[in-house]
Amino acid sequence: MLFHTWTFCVFFLVVLCGHAWMGSGRLRLPWLLLASYVFYGWWNPFYLALIFYSTLLDYWIVAWMDQCHQGNWPENRSGGWRAFLFLHLKNRGLNQALWCGRLLLIGATCGLSLGPSSLRALATLMCLLGFTMIWAATRQDRRSWLWASMLNNLSLLFYFKYADFFIENANFLMDRLGLGYQWPPAASWMPLGMEYMLPVGISFYTFQSMSYTLDFYRGQLGREHSFLRFATYVSFFPQLVAGPIERASSLLPQLARPKKLQAKAFAEGSSIFLVGLFKKLALANYLSFYVERVYEMPETQAAPALAMATVAFAWQIYFDFSGYTDMARGIARIMGYELMLNFNHPYLATSLGDFWARWHISLSTWFRDYVYIPLGGNRKGPILGATYLLITFLASAIWHGAAWTFVIWGLMHAVGTLFNRLLERQKWFQEKVPTMLRRILVFGFVCLAWIFFRAESVADAWLILSKLVQGNWQDPQIPWLMVALILAVWSYQWVQQSPWRAWTQTGPFKVCAVIIMLLWLCFFSSSGGAFIYFQF
Amino acid sequence: MKHSSTPVNQPGMRAQKEGTRCTQGLVLSGRQWILVIMSLCLTMWVIPIGWQGLETFDPEESYRIPYAASRDYWLYERYVNQPHDEPTVYFVGDSVVWGEYVSKEGTWTHWLNDHSQGEPRFVNLALNGLYPLALEGLLEHYAKELHHAQVLLHCNLLWMSSPQADLSDPKEQVFNHPMLVPQWEPQLPSYHATIETRLSRLVGNHWSWLAWIRHLQIHYWDQKDPYQWTLMDDGRYPPTYPNHRSFPWQAIDWQLEQEPSPDPDRGLESPRHKPWSELGEGTQRYDWVPLSQSLQWAAFQRICQRMAHRDNALMVIIGPFNQHMLHPDHRPTFKAYEQEIIQWFRDQGIAHLAPPTLPSHQYGDASHPLQPGYRMLAQQLWEAPDFQQWIKPLKR
Repeated sequence: MLFHTWTFCVFFLVVLCGHAWMGSGRLRLPWLLLASYVFYGWWNPFYLALIFYSTLLDYWIVAWMDQCHQGNWPENRSGGWRAFLFLHLKNRGLNQALWCGRLLLIGATCGLSLGPSSLRALATLMCLLGFTMIWAATRQDRRSWLWASMLNNLSLLFYFKYADFFIENANFLMDRLGLGYQWPPAASWMPLGMEYMLPVGISFYTFQSMSYTLDFYRGQLGREHSFLRFATYVSFFPQLVAGPIERASSLLPQLARPKKLQAKAFAEGSSIFLVGLFKKLALANYLSFYVERVYEMPETQAAPALAMATVAFAWQIYFDFSGYTDMARGIARIMGYELMLNFNHPYLATSLGDFWARWHISLSTWFRDYVYIPLGGNRKGPILGATYLLITFLASAIWHGAAWTFVIWGLMHAVGTLFNRLLERQKWFQEKVPTMLRRILVFGFVCLAWIFFRAESVADAWLILSKLVQGNWQDPQIPWLMVALILAVWSYQWVQQSPWRAWTQTGPFKVCAVIIMLLWLCFFSSSGGAFIYFQF
Repeated sequence: MKHSSTPVNQPGMRAQKEGTRCTQGLVLSGRQWILVIMSLCLTMWVIPIGWQGLETFDPEESYRIPYAASRDYWLYERYVNQPHDEPTVYFVGDSVVWGEYVSKEGTWTHWLNDHSQGEPRFVNLALNGLYPLALEGLLEHYAKELHHAQVLLHCNLLWMSSPQADLSDPKEQVFNHPMLVPQWEPQLPSYHATIETRLSRLVGNHWSWLAWIRHLQIHYWDQKDPYQWTLMDDGRYPPTYPNHRSFPWQAIDWQLEQEPSPDPDRGLESPRHKPWSELGEGTQRYDWVPLSQSLQWAAFQRICQRMAHRDNALMVIIGPFNQHMLHPDHRPTFKAYEQEIIQWFRDQGIAHLAPPTLPSHQYGDASHPLQPGYRMLAQQLWEAPDFQQWIKPLKR
């Protein structure tokens, strides 16, 4: 169910009415949870099992983690396999976890050895869960439970998102080494003949759920006792499938407060939603037609078309993704919830660091807070700092997808950011290079990196790069209307960050702009088109 | 219920602060939204009306909605609302009335006008491919002004000749005018559109502004939305894109889509204009859908009732179906079927005529006559006493 469809329009009207009616009652959260599950199940009802599993896992793990600091430090922490099998814990909750883990492990092992091969993936997952539960319960420390959460969440993500990539590369390697074994494709592991496909938004809700566990582990957040509230936090439908990746500390308290339908929130939310809708239907979809035309067969295109298509793609992905998050924020705002801003005019960034502070902010800050800073950030010297930055960018790249093109894209940004930092320390750079030139340089670099992000393969990306260097002239045949639209948006964003911003904040300007946008949508909105970030 | 997710020193809060610091700036207040909505309503009401003044539409006597504009229901509505000085008979139907194989100077209405000398004037209100289930939607949404009028309604039995034509076959079919069929009730087994498609079609039918935009797309942007029009290729290899330097508004020349003249697909000179017997198909067996189960027949019955409710003087013309094309074994079945239909009109007190079957060579297929066939049909109709009685009030 996409936000820009009539189906969603009907769905949201029903949800909003119910939500407004139940605003301060006990039924509000069950209603929101039901709506979120209907929204998610609309794609594929089987996905619901995954999100429910992820929710249940982190809810219970945090509950067990919470037991670990209650003083019952292990009676027999290093008892080896005997403790593993026969240990009885005094703490009731942890003892339950231990027995659950044992039962899961026994059941899953039986399933793995006696059950049909189609249950392999499920049984392996259950084995892993059972084992980590026993291990964490017997160790009785928070760190072990954190590992249990990470392992189980990431293994699910790994199976659905990276297994095929891993198997493909492993098989290639084994073939080269002359080993006569090939792993079967990940699809053959699917239980009960279900289709192997990437569940929409799995990376988003897994990270959101993990952030709760991580924050609790670090003592930055109290435990959420209400499963209903936690499940609503993980599956909150406006941001479920493409973010922004909300933090528990921000959304859980909002879910706890009673809500009323307010005219101000409704007007604000509608405005934000409209901007998102415009970005998606009037801009992103249009640009996608040209980008697809050129990138479909890069070998037949000349340099100008490839360059224009790359610039068009830079804007397409921005409009597409920021359009989605604007719509998500608008919908949430209408219901009375605040979601974080995910994009802040990224193509006006004056450095790559600045770009990442403006692009997909919820993910950038996630990696900063849970990967880069815990690794050591820039506190441990320039060499280690650069290494951590590289690791963070690689992790972020792999989060986007299982392909070498994403890895190269991440590496480019890591190296570019490091180089940019060095440049910024130079006095001549600070004094002589004007802001506009910096913006153009950053935009140029980002576009260069987008080539790898968008190309079908590394070979295609190299081909595009080599063609760009050769520079044969040929009319790119990009519609002038497209160019005019990009320039108009870029100018508007530039004005937003200039002293003339006040002029765009006047009532008549805003009213006229919204009328034009709505009329434009009526005439020009292009049909269809799922959001690019759904694939992540 | 205990809630203890109290923030202590959360990185999330830092991200939240960073995140909400800036907005894109276009946030309207409630009052501004009201102003926007009022302005939009006014614009959407005024522009299509003003458009009618700017875009010349002066249909001549034998005008019919061009084939390329078959989906332009806004133009159809405009055509229905067109004022006429002389008494008018509206002839409503599918491609049989529209004239599948003939030019606009060879249609049924053209020959009727030939007989009447414009007193009354016969207006071809047919659309290509318009089966009863779609006609029902067309009359409901785009021909609201068709009331207190003299209406000839054509009943084409071909739409009941098989479960596929009747849209009652559970196998999915692609058919004309899906926008006009009932989206939910009654359910059409052959119609498998998604909920989203059905909803958008429902909205499209109830919002005339969208019909006007479709009108622009059909007449000025090669049946495409303006974005697609700027990206349209010339169909050659390697392709070129003739419109990439144009802005969509430059294509608006205020000239409506016209029928090609001469039309390679229609008219006496067209290779398609030839008797069905020359196609070598032979006689056919039809799997007639029982009238009690036929969705098309039920829709036709509803159309007749709707016409009566609008105080129209209605006369139904049944067929004539090409019985030469029927396998001899199937002719008695067809006769009984036709009689059942005639009986229903009799029972309802609806004026009707069932012209006799034309000579075989005057049919292009199972239901469409060729030009001489239309001429003969018009003559038969004109000479029929019941018809003369029916149009008597219109004669000066």
